[in-house]
Amino acid sequence: MHKHTNIIFFCILTFCGLMFGQQKETTETQISLLSTQQEFVAGNDIVLEFKTKTTNFSLYCTNSYGSILVNHTPTDKGIAFALPTFFTQKRGIVYWKVFQNETTALEGNFHIKPIEKSESLEIYLGPPSIEAGGKDFTMLVAIPTDSLDNPLPKNTPVLINTQFLAKEDKTEVTTNNLIAYRNIYAPLQSGRMLLSTQHQEKNSVELDVNIVPAIPKNFQIFFTRNHSYADGNQITTFYTSVLKDSYNNVVSDGTFVYFYITTRENAVLKTFGQTVNGVAKAKMIHPDKAANWSVKAFIDGISESNSIDINYQQAIKDFKVAFTNENAKIKVGPFQSFMNQMIPDGLKVTLTVSQKNNVVKVYYRETNKGFAHFILNKNFYPKGNYTIKIEAAGLVKTYKNIAL
Amino acid sequence: MIRTNKLLIRAILISSYLLLCAILVFLISGILSYLNTGADRSTLLHTQIHKETVYTPQLSWQDNGNEGRPISQQVLNEVENNYLDAWYIKQVAYRENKKTGIEDFYTKNARKNLYASINNNAKNNTYIAATTLSHQPDILFYSEDGQLIVLEDKAVVEHKKVFQNKKQVLETTEQSDYKHILLLEDGFWRIRHSVKESTTPFIKKIKDTPADSLQIKGINYYPQDTPWDMFGDDFDAQIIANDFELIKKTGLNTIRIFVPYEDFGKANLKEDKLEKLQQVLDIALKKQLKVVVTLFDFYGNYDVLDWTLTYKHARGIVTKFKDHNAILAWDLKNEPNLDFASRGKENVVSWLDYLLVLIKSIDETHPVTIGWSNVESATILSDKVDYVSFHYYEDVEQFETQFLALKKHIPNKPLILQEFGLSSYGGFWRPFASSETTQAEYHKTIQQVLTKHNIHFMSWTLYDFKEVPSSVVGKLPWRTNPQKKFGFIDADGKKKASFEFICE
Repeated sequence: MHKHTNIIFFCILTFCGLMFGQQKETTETQISLLSTQQEFVAGNDIVLEFKTKTTNFSLYCTNSYGSILVNHTPTDKGIAFALPTFFTQKRGIVYWKVFQNETTALEGNFHIKPIEKSESLEIYLGPPSIEAGGKDFTMLVAIPTDSLDNPLPKNTPVLINTQFLAKEDKTEVTTNNLIAYRNIYAPLQSGRMLLSTQHQEKNSVELDVNIVPAIPKNFQIFFTRNHSYADGNQITTFYTSVLKDSYNNVVSDGTFVYFYITTRENAVLKTFGQTVNGVAKAKMIHPDKAANWSVKAFIDGISESNSIDINYQQAIKDFKVAFTNENAKIKVGPFQSFMNQMIPDGLKVTLTVSQKNNVVKVYYRETNKGFAHFILNKNFYPKGNYTIKIEAAGLVKTYKNIAL
Repeated sequence: MIRTNKLLIRAILISSYLLLCAILVFLISGILSYLNTGADRSTLLHTQIHKETVYTPQLSWQDNGNEGRPISQQVLNEVENNYLDAWYIKQVAYRENKKTGIEDFYTKNARKNLYASINNNAKNNTYIAATTLSHQPDILFYSEDGQLIVLEDKAVVEHKKVFQNKKQVLETTEQSDYKHILLLEDGFWRIRHSVKESTTPFIKKIKDTPADSLQIKGINYYPQDTPWDMFGDDFDAQIIANDFELIKKTGLNTIRIFVPYEDFGKANLKEDKLEKLQQVLDIALKKQLKVVVTLFDFYGNYDVLDWTLTYKHARGIVTKFKDHNAILAWDLKNEPNLDFASRGKENVVSWLDYLLVLIKSIDETHPVTIGWSNVESATILSDKVDYVSFHYYEDVEQFETQFLALKKHIPNKPLILQEFGLSSYGGFWRPFASSETTQAEYHKTIQQVLTKHNIHFMSWTLYDFKEVPSSVVGKLPWRTNPQKKFGFIDADGKKKASFEFICE
């Protein structure tokens, strides 16, 4: 192999040697370079031979990574320096000096070329996911190297293969500044693109890039519920139309959609859901009194829906109040819903005790089996007449002059 | 009598008790405060990172855009830091033949190449002390995901001293072009591939700067109260202005001042010190005095790995003042030959050599000199400096002969007798060694020679000093005391007999 390469390069190299040879000879030291080769292939033996009578010379060599000293071996014409293997394996310029007693006698340089056979293709791909639509791109960088980990020379062709859906593509790029690269633009559809590179017979591993859908367009929302009564118990479900980007790709699962509900009193309620197959669902419990909701959904900073109105009818028409134990026990109820059934537990009932427009104490209870019970501690209240107000399901009942 | 004794014993008992208590309290509080040290809350989280400046070669980015993604200034700073650290770590590794730190700046595959050379050198008892003096890095390519950079570094000047069996066998300076691939791995930009694309021997380009036509009649100057600490906390521009006025009146036209290396902030120059230097130069200009600025006072390392720091220091000062009209010349270092024994002549001289190249590359108008401490050393680098400066504290009778011999040896460069003088001290530590009369006689004699041969001169020094810092001549009284009495004006501000001969 070594011999063979030598013969191939011989003619070129004698020419190169004439053009680029940089040896300087000083007369006092009487040493001259016999080796004419200016260019070597990485991994081949490199021996610099000198014609000299004195033998106490050393060789200093420096390459891309470091500098070393080489000891000579005597030959019949003079001396020779054989570079250690690790030094012959790296691509680049090797600069050398032959010296004795701190004085340089000769200096020169030669070039080590990479082996023109790719052994490995290091590839780097990033970013790993890009947006569909032809504007976004990912970059594939390939560093073709030989078996000794030297980057290959300029203009080494590297084939880039891409596969997306039914389409397979091959493009050739060439190395410049040690690397070859290509920008790969996203197709219109979302999905997964596979990439690989090839140089001569050497193939890289397979890489993939995720083509994610672009940002969704504006969308529609809908709602569904069991009944239209404001019973404070049932749940209304909001859902979106299938969210798609402008290229008809369904948005990625997990896209957050926020539903904003504005009530008649201008209070804002918020609920949210994440998309599954492009549809986001969110739920909200029914109000406990008649209401008129206006609902609109947003994907923050990206898109919005139409606005829809929902009406809830009053479910509880009326309730009774019974005072016992000298007004200390107050039983509120029964609360009956739209079919006169007892309402489910948990309706909030508020009882306010006040005297001469000053609120003395407020009690909150939730209904249990259709009733709410209040016990007023008589020791707490100075003797006198009080006004008692009871609110539930949007209804208000006031009892004046209740003696406590 | 008994009563007095009793009282005395009582007093002793009470006071010794009090003393014992005081000692105990002192000891306990000492222990407590010792246990409390390090408990400062602000230090708990180690939020501060102390980064030492270790490697500052001249570096100029080629700002000509790059392929791939545009690079931001912040990334560029990170790349610069990591890239220079990679060089520094590599230099240390080759010097010590150890692999410490390499893995932080070279990827797994790239390190192998360094390790191979290091192992080889260790085996051959060889080590290489190297540094780089300048870089011209250029980002050629920055990948879209910000993980890969191709960096070209052109005209990297590498200075190497090759040692075998602990003896320097070769000194070489090369200029090379490199291409590197850097990868961002766990927050570090690490070198993946290095390819040296060309190497040529570095040619020192030195242009002679014509010396000033001025016949130098000068004096080495320190303010009387702050000798060897001219730019310290007690800096007073008014005192300096008065002194310069006085110097000008005597007929002198030049002063020599000293810029201490550490005091000025080493590689990272302190703005306030530069401001003080600026004031001194401005005053000198106003009083029509020329100034020889002596750099690197109190510096004495010269280690190859210290070069980039000192050169950054020099770059900063020379760049700032290169257009100042008060400056007569840059004096690279005061008496560097005194460090030959401890630091090695080769180290000192090659440091000066490259410092000279650097200063001349920045300032092409001001001449450069080196303040050798004796006549014998003055020939070193005499072909490269613009003024040859030497100091003379030997026998005054011998001066003319020695000067003429030197003149014969260096006929083409102007010579400056940059320091000379005699202490008038004749006190306890060196009785009858000298006196003010002897000093006056000395200056009279030497001035006759100076006039006869038109020699540029700068005497030592204007004032007698009350204190001399121990860093100058040590602490021994028979050395410090004479050192205090070299002035033309004594400690009380009275002109000594020698003052008459301060200028011809």
